[in-house]
Amino acid sequence: MASSPSPSSPSLNSGSVLQFDRFQSLVDVGFWHRLSSLKLDTLGIDQSPITLVGFFAPHSRAQVSNHLTLLSESLPTAPIDHASSIETNLGNRNRCPVPGILYNTNTLEEFKELDRDNLLQIEANKILEDIRLGKVEEDSTLLLRFLVISYADLKTWSFRYLFAFPALVIDPPATLMSLQPATQMLTAEEAESLSAACNEWRSSSLTAGIPFFIVSINSDSQATLRPLKDWESCQGDQNKLLFGFYDPCHLKTNPGWPLRNFLTFICLRWKLQKVRFFCYRERLGLANLDVSLIGDALISIPTDFTEPQYIPKVVGWERIGNRLALRCISLAESMDPQRLAASAADLNLKLMTWRAVPSLNIDVLQTAKCLLLGVGTLGCQVARTLLGWGVRKLTLVDSGRVSMSNPVRQSLYTFDDCLNGGRLKAEAAARNLKAIFPAMETEGIVMAIPMPGHPIPAQETASVLEDCKHLQALIASHDVVFLLTDTRESRWLPTLFCSHENKILINAALGFDSYLVMRHGAGPNVSTPDNNLECRDDGTAAVLMNELSLKDVGAKRRLGCYFCSDVVAPIDSTSNRTLDQQCTVTRPGLAPIAASLAVELMANILNHPDRIYAPGEIASSITGNSAQPLGLMPHQIRGTISLFSQMTLLGYSSSSCTACSETVLSEFRNRGMDFVLQAINHPTYLEDLTGLTELKQAAGSFELDWDDETDDDAEIQ
Amino acid sequence: MSNLEVWDGTISQKDFYVAARTLVERWKQVNPSLPQWTWIPSKSTLMGSSCKEEGYLSLENMFHIDRNEECLIVDSFSEREETDDVATLVHSTSNETHIYDFHIVYSFSYKVPVLYFHGYQSDGQPLSMDEIENDLPPSSSKILRESKWTYMTLGEHPYVRRPWYTLHPCATSDWMKLLLGGTSMKDLDISSYLLSWLSVVGQAIGLRIPLELQQSSNSSSSRRGATKSPTGTEAVEARSGQ
Repeated sequence: MASSPSPSSPSLNSGSVLQFDRFQSLVDVGFWHRLSSLKLDTLGIDQSPITLVGFFAPHSRAQVSNHLTLLSESLPTAPIDHASSIETNLGNRNRCPVPGILYNTNTLEEFKELDRDNLLQIEANKILEDIRLGKVEEDSTLLLRFLVISYADLKTWSFRYLFAFPALVIDPPATLMSLQPATQMLTAEEAESLSAACNEWRSSSLTAGIPFFIVSINSDSQATLRPLKDWESCQGDQNKLLFGFYDPCHLKTNPGWPLRNFLTFICLRWKLQKVRFFCYRERLGLANLDVSLIGDALISIPTDFTEPQYIPKVVGWERIGNRLALRCISLAESMDPQRLAASAADLNLKLMTWRAVPSLNIDVLQTAKCLLLGVGTLGCQVARTLLGWGVRKLTLVDSGRVSMSNPVRQSLYTFDDCLNGGRLKAEAAARNLKAIFPAMETEGIVMAIPMPGHPIPAQETASVLEDCKHLQALIASHDVVFLLTDTRESRWLPTLFCSHENKILINAALGFDSYLVMRHGAGPNVSTPDNNLECRDDGTAAVLMNELSLKDVGAKRRLGCYFCSDVVAPIDSTSNRTLDQQCTVTRPGLAPIAASLAVELMANILNHPDRIYAPGEIASSITGNSAQPLGLMPHQIRGTISLFSQMTLLGYSSSSCTACSETVLSEFRNRGMDFVLQAINHPTYLEDLTGLTELKQAAGSFELDWDDETDDDAEIQ
Repeated sequence: MSNLEVWDGTISQKDFYVAARTLVERWKQVNPSLPQWTWIPSKSTLMGSSCKEEGYLSLENMFHIDRNEECLIVDSFSEREETDDVATLVHSTSNETHIYDFHIVYSFSYKVPVLYFHGYQSDGQPLSMDEIENDLPPSSSKILRESKWTYMTLGEHPYVRRPWYTLHPCATSDWMKLLLGGTSMKDLDISSYLLSWLSVVGQAIGLRIPLELQQSSNSSSSRRGATKSPTGTEAVEARSGQ
């Protein structure tokens, strides 16, 4: 509890100027929330002053002065706001209400140009008038009127503000004759009685919110607290009178700010020149007369104060030391819904690392730049699943428009996107992703992917070449490419470029009730980061590897691409039926399944130390848990809904591949876009180049199709 | 639920209310000089039906005082010196006070208590995560860094409806089960649940938990963990009286 008072304190300098400790302000975050919604929902650009209720209480904690506090309840209730759960208690002993006024400007310039002298003067005049007209006796909190100027920048969620606690200046200033702990100035009996009276005053809801009062102590040492309006009746009996106030100040040497206008009031209204005041302070919710102070002040009001037209001098802008306490508070972290959405989305991923997969690298996913080629049924679903993994940078390539049939299957589009001929898919998808999650950095690129077997009219050659270069640049500038187009031949050029740039490519293709999801291997003639072994094509025909040698060989052999297992070059042909040529009629559940697998495959690759070089694994080659945090690292996943079955497959690169073989790549590296144009314009060129023509002749009518594959874990080549 | 069943570390909303009452009482006995936990009944109910057990515990105005000078004047405002006012006390220095509010809310999803807290400067400016960490005693920072159960995040306070810092509750039932030892439902003194819980959570956020809070409770539960020396004594003002 309180230590014994120190009567020899050097601060008790009798006869000096009475100095008041400034009021300090505290604004709860809830106030700014309420002001923001009031501004947005109700006030608009209206800049009329707003009535406030501030709250304060007597000092109660060691070393700390109580502040005048603004809470969300300080503002008038906005009809739309149901969020508040804090109740406004009349008679809450810790929330003595004080009237205030807020000037909130619409711009920073207006805020800076506010005539602060004038605003303060207006409040001072009100206080003086309230004293003169006797309003203060009825409502003593009028002596504590305060003023706030602010500029609420709702775009950046920052708020500038400055408080003023207007105090009338009297000249000469009041003189302090003595200031002592209350227990030093009272007999023990008086102190006990005063404590009890104060506790009663503070615990009654009728009086707890009244910060100024008269203490009357009779000859029997019995103290009573009286409201100011009882002044007349306090006269005449021979009781000792003290003028009490809730003192927010913690200093032993000075009274707090509320006394200042109170003294002026007492002197002006009741014509007293010598005032014994009582700085009421508490500990643990009870009156404490060791920390409360009693002092004597001499005050004389210059006669001009009483003249009706007198304009009082005023001080009171909140200061720290000598400088204005202009404050800027930024609440972007707690108010900006975009930031809140981003941190909430991150939370789920972080929780995953916490319990399920501690070694998961989320950063590599969040920073991965993903390129989606095709934004149809698969593309939409891949994008959505990438959102879930925290991927933020997406580039979406598509040349089509959203048609009326799309939104029911393509989950990024809505009916509105189909109207008026339909929005461009790339742009609609980019925009809608941002609508789902504003932290997304998306870009839509409207471009058709040039395809072999679709000869280009001479006049369009230049623009197709541009597209080719653009596509190559896009692939070069991204980390992961998703190949989600709906024709086989449109997959050729991206496969070639990814092979050339050695980019991770994930391919998904749909049949009516079956799907294929695969990752392409590294390009030819690229050193692996680990063992410096050169990845090279294995020209031999398909070999079924046993499990022991699989890993060994896999580390040295490149994984195949989409075209490695084909014996025909991509051409515009309907005789060569592959999965994706039927994709307009797929079971609706297929695309989400395949898209999810594609994204999960990406997550595994990016979390694998060897990334694109990670050897292919098949389910039966791994017993128990995989060494990698997210489990198996398959090459191909193939599933059939009609059987509700799914399997992992492994296939190595083929030296006859039309898209990723050394032959094709070296030709492309030598001849560049000329090679590309030739492949596009001459259907048999690629087959001739890679020796597929020969192979086909040798094998007769042999043709391999996905639908013929039934062996589990078979290698396909 | 059978009495013999091994307890899973969770409590019901009713038990939370009972445990909350115990915490309020014990805190008052042990920490009369500190701000007190109070039960805040919720007016608008989260779960549809209102009952007296719905609400949360609140401990507000815990101070952390630095001796640093304040520095918060932010830009060049046309500064006109007020006429020298001899009647205003001018401080040469001022203390920077950080004020913390702590709420304990019952999580209906996890069936455990969840701590929500926020800190602010004496002018109301909320403290950033970094500033909060600066206020913590080293032992707490270590716990926050190294323990997996102390994932601190900004989440919407279900009653205040604003983002407060919170310790994610998804491991709470596990360590509570450890803390109170494989107690069967029958032997469990549910009223001491929050005392034990707070003895752990308090360490992470520098909330001073007096030993007596646990020791003199008549809980039959194991004291494992609860008797660790309290950390964070410097973090939050613990002086009584002056």
